[in-house]
Amino acid sequence: MVSTDSITKTPLHLIQARRKRHFYLLLMIFFVIVQILWIGIPILMAVMWSLVDPKKPWSYPNVFPPSFSLAQWKYVFNYTNIGRALRTSYSLAPLAVLLSLVLSLPTSYVLGRKKIPGKKLFMLVVLLPIIMPGMVVALFLSRVFTAFGLSQTFFGLVLAHTLMSIPYMIRVMTTSFQAIPQDVIDAAENLGANTLVKIKDIFLPMIRPGLLAGMIFAFTVSIEEFNLTFIIGTPTFETIPTILYSFMGYNFIRTNASVVALLMMTPNIIMLFIVERFLKSDYLAASLGKM
Amino acid sequence: MKEKEISPIHILMLIPGVGFILLFIGSSIFLTLVQSFGLFSITGKSEFTLENWKAILQAKESMDSLFFSLKMGLFSSVGTLVVAFPIALFFRKGGTGKGILGSIIKVPLFIPALVAAFLILNLISYHGLVNTVLMRLNLIDEPLRMLNDKFGWGVVFIQIWKNLPFVLLIVMAALASIRDDTIDVAKNLGAGYWSVLFRIYVPLAMPGILVSMILMFIKAFGDFPICSVAGPVYPSSMAGRMQIMATIYQEWDQAAVLGVIIIVTAFIVIWAYSRFAELFKGEV
Repeated sequence: MVSTDSITKTPLHLIQARRKRHFYLLLMIFFVIVQILWIGIPILMAVMWSLVDPKKPWSYPNVFPPSFSLAQWKYVFNYTNIGRALRTSYSLAPLAVLLSLVLSLPTSYVLGRKKIPGKKLFMLVVLLPIIMPGMVVALFLSRVFTAFGLSQTFFGLVLAHTLMSIPYMIRVMTTSFQAIPQDVIDAAENLGANTLVKIKDIFLPMIRPGLLAGMIFAFTVSIEEFNLTFIIGTPTFETIPTILYSFMGYNFIRTNASVVALLMMTPNIIMLFIVERFLKSDYLAASLGKM
Repeated sequence: MKEKEISPIHILMLIPGVGFILLFIGSSIFLTLVQSFGLFSITGKSEFTLENWKAILQAKESMDSLFFSLKMGLFSSVGTLVVAFPIALFFRKGGTGKGILGSIIKVPLFIPALVAAFLILNLISYHGLVNTVLMRLNLIDEPLRMLNDKFGWGVVFIQIWKNLPFVLLIVMAALASIRDDTIDVAKNLGAGYWSVLFRIYVPLAMPGILVSMILMFIKAFGDFPICSVAGPVYPSSMAGRMQIMATIYQEWDQAAVLGVIIIVTAFIVIWAYSRFAELFKGEV
């Protein structure tokens, strides 16, 4: 492609490279704009709906609400069960995270570090709560729970939420346990480290990022869990998702629903940025990328 | 690499995690199965019967629901992949600005499904933003019906919006594991853009693609809240139908039949996936 006189001018491949860079830059800008519209507009709409002034309704031909007020927020907090639902959700989630952490630690250790027969099968079994359609599990687990007197109890809900979040926990932790080089453990053993020292100085620091990732995933799973809570918990317990569902059902109140929707997603988005800040690798992809 | 000996203690250590899951999931699967044949029944007398199966299989509603849910699973999973794959390819190549874009794009992953449904509902409802804008631009004469429509496009759109980051993450990880050398070699040997795409990127990323597809299919197929909020009035989704059957009509045995159908479909899909994955292992 290079002709003789082009040696004096800018070489063709450099021009091509520059063109390619420009092309990617344009593509980038395009993607950013599309992204902002794709994610931003839906969220902006919800924000606007939650700020509609009840005296001046926002109706069809107007693209923006005529005036803004905090009346909807006040209404939702004063006249609905949202306060209680928030308390239920945010006391359920930490307990579920804690329980799934305690339950999954030994299991992930064995799955990550030991050669046990049928490991592949165990890894699949761990995924069952994700694979199994939620409503089927919810309905028939509620029968099991009823038999044990766990239905409509707080402890039952903790167990249910643990069941839904434990797969992420085990998968992510197994991956982190797997990533610890055996050399380090061997070296520590040669230098006379006992089990306690091994746990404190090798395992804990090395699995900490995975631990954090697993806990965050488990937390978000618990916050958004709907099927099991809906069947096992309602009407005794309401969480944010079930209350949102009731606002979106037969008596659809858009303004109330948007307040609840914003309440529900803001902590999650903050959590997303925490994950981004502290965790370098993609734990979700690493742990769910293969079955 | 692995530590050497396994002792009974290690098997015991599996119990808290695996045992916990097996206990609850296992018991609910077992109960679904036996109740569908009329055993352990709470509503009627407990005896082996095929009546529930007959009742469900002969009802037009359940077949319509099954067909609808299958359609939702297929369209949602394939639709998400079609959107996600080009973006994943772009991320593999264009290095600049990955950070910000990567964070923004992941937002829906952390937005609960119901909230996602609500957010999209505001856009595509009868007097929603999309219709308003299209009307203002004089592109349409009257608002389009995108929500609660007969086909279920509203549901598909919500599923794509919500699950795009999930599929994207997995496909991106799969693409990242392809070495640049492989692509350079192919290009040197004269492979064009399309043949690089279809003979290197797609087959080598296939395991990741399949896993994300399967998880998404099952999610969309067994979905209850999104279909009941944004889906058509008739037919309801399989999960929705089962929920109504159990909690409104109190026909738990027939609900169990629907449950078995949902579970079996999910497992057939997983089985087909593993067969397909093996096929690809042999070829590449």
